[in-house]
Amino acid sequence: MSRSEHSAGVHKLSALRPGTRGRIVRVTRDLTGRTERLAALGVTPGATVRLLQTFPGIVFECDQTELAVERTVAHAIFIELD
Amino acid sequence: MSCPHAIRELSPTPLLRLRAHPLRIALVGNPNVGKSVVFGRLTGRYVTVSNYPGTTVAVTRGRSTVGAEVCDIIDTPGVNALEGPLSEDEKVTRDLLQGGGVELVVQIADARNLRRALTLTSQLADVGLPMILVLNMIDEARARGVDVDAAGLSDELGIPVIEAVAPEGRGMSELRDALAVPARASAASDCGQTHVEWADAMTRRFRTVGQMSLGRVQEWLGRAVREPLTGIPALLIVLYLTYLVVGVFGAQTLVGLLEEDLFGRYLNPWAAAAASHIPSAAARDFLVGDYGLISMGLTYAIAIVLPVVTTFFLVFGFLEDSGYIPRLAIFSDRLFRAMGLNGRAVLPMVLGLGCDTMATMTTRILATPKERLIAILLLALGVPCSAQLATIMGILGGISFAALVTLFAVVLSQMVLVGFLAARVLPGDRSDFVMELPPLRMPRLRNIVTKTLVRVKWYLGEAVPLFLIGTVLLFVLDRVGGLDAIASASRPVVTGLLGLPPRAAEVFVMGFLRRDYGAAGLFKMAHDGSLSNVQAVVALTVMTLFVPCVANFLMIVKERGLRIGLAILSFVTLIAVGTGVALNALLGALHVSF
Repeated sequence: MSRSEHSAGVHKLSALRPGTRGRIVRVTRDLTGRTERLAALGVTPGATVRLLQTFPGIVFECDQTELAVERTVAHAIFIELD
Repeated sequence: MSCPHAIRELSPTPLLRLRAHPLRIALVGNPNVGKSVVFGRLTGRYVTVSNYPGTTVAVTRGRSTVGAEVCDIIDTPGVNALEGPLSEDEKVTRDLLQGGGVELVVQIADARNLRRALTLTSQLADVGLPMILVLNMIDEARARGVDVDAAGLSDELGIPVIEAVAPEGRGMSELRDALAVPARASAASDCGQTHVEWADAMTRRFRTVGQMSLGRVQEWLGRAVREPLTGIPALLIVLYLTYLVVGVFGAQTLVGLLEEDLFGRYLNPWAAAAASHIPSAAARDFLVGDYGLISMGLTYAIAIVLPVVTTFFLVFGFLEDSGYIPRLAIFSDRLFRAMGLNGRAVLPMVLGLGCDTMATMTTRILATPKERLIAILLLALGVPCSAQLATIMGILGGISFAALVTLFAVVLSQMVLVGFLAARVLPGDRSDFVMELPPLRMPRLRNIVTKTLVRVKWYLGEAVPLFLIGTVLLFVLDRVGGLDAIASASRPVVTGLLGLPPRAAEVFVMGFLRRDYGAAGLFKMAHDGSLSNVQAVVALTVMTLFVPCVANFLMIVKERGLRIGLAILSFVTLIAVGTGVALNALLGALHVSF
């Protein structure tokens, strides 16, 4: 499934340029409960995303919330571009 | 796809009835949605309100009347979830709700973030208590083009849904009316969905997002403080303005007026004249002598420290409410990661500049035990509190800018070094950096003034008695020869290794009671001309790194236990003295005189 997603314009949040807009399609699970913590902040499939900045930290707007995350977290968030 | 309400049996519970205790109402919600503002509106009690998540870290209670009934209103720390991995303050809230200590839940929601709020609503519904949903900040939501159908949402959930703008009191009377008619909410579990799926579906049905009309200024300012090219200069400007207000206007102009004019010319001479009628020399000294209650205790507390903390709290309140402080996490994340923390730690560290004791409590917003321990250690080691910071600025600012830079460079490098080592030595992990940035807002003057007054009152209540007790202690020690004993016992270190005058030993004793008290002692010595420039820098560096004050120590013990408290205490003292000795030797070898 991930293969077809990629061809349909799905990218990691960490690979996008500032200003890009899209929609979250998937958040990779890990063992630390990261997905749940992100979900509690509204970072769940379906949420709209606008990337604001990539250096020194990654800053993006998810629905109406502005979030700052480190790169490893942004690797786990998959975005389908508008 | 409406789901049947009847699945969860709703027994009509009359809420107005005789009770063994007042009706207990918990205000629950995501961080930074305005729970404390609503609390203040309902109870008339002031609790600190700021524009960043984690201002409230402990449960606060207050009384209110609803109709004819007396209620206990409970303000809780913000929660993002009640299930799954929880932070310490989230556990506090969950335990409160599940422990049977609450009869009614009022969920406060940020109307802009309906999806997040409803995810929590759904988890709250599972607790099974009657609920009310308050959509707060409805004005900011509309300004961003977000519109919520409150009536439709209320029908769907089966609970009252109220639109509010709490700082202006809008929606509060509707909330009071609704407190009499709460109901159990029907949410995800009634529809066989997950919390997120349900919240997603509800949001799509009841929220419309129109054209974003976020102010240009806000958008521009947000970008300016966030991007490195403009953000770093912006930070320097903020620091410089803070220095102007606190270090120059507070620590020099105001202190000059109070210490030299009010106390120096009028109060102390008057007190001395009045005391000269007292026959006993000891009693006279007790009031106006070298260690007199008036000439030392009150002068230090009111003339030297008060103007400084007041100006600091004003600036700090402004920064807190603007939403600027959390944005510093973007720049500091990498540095903090090297120290076993992440960017979130910027909050307790910056709050430590206000008061290390309060900041030690705020470390609860950090995710892992290791992070909390490192943050507490660094706060105790190197973060100067407001009063201390300003006395530092007051003394070193008068010497040279290089002196000021030397002190901060030494203290910062020690913190980085200790943090770097602690990150490798201490067991445990750091958590991922994920942080919510609150919206940038023009602070409300009223809130800043109220907050400053509350904090100044707190300072007067908490610090002044300690200044006086400390003065009495020094007076007694001086009488029985204890000060001489301490001075001669510590002479090898204080005079020999640190190169300070013997009297500096007293100042370090004072510094343990409160660091600002010790710093005020140094301020006085520097003014008297009994400290050279190099001595002032060395003494202040040691004092800044020195043991936390008694209140901070007790808070560390409360948060982490006596064993860790003592370990931190001895470790920090060792580092402080060691750094002072090295600095003194280095400055001597380089023939620096500032």
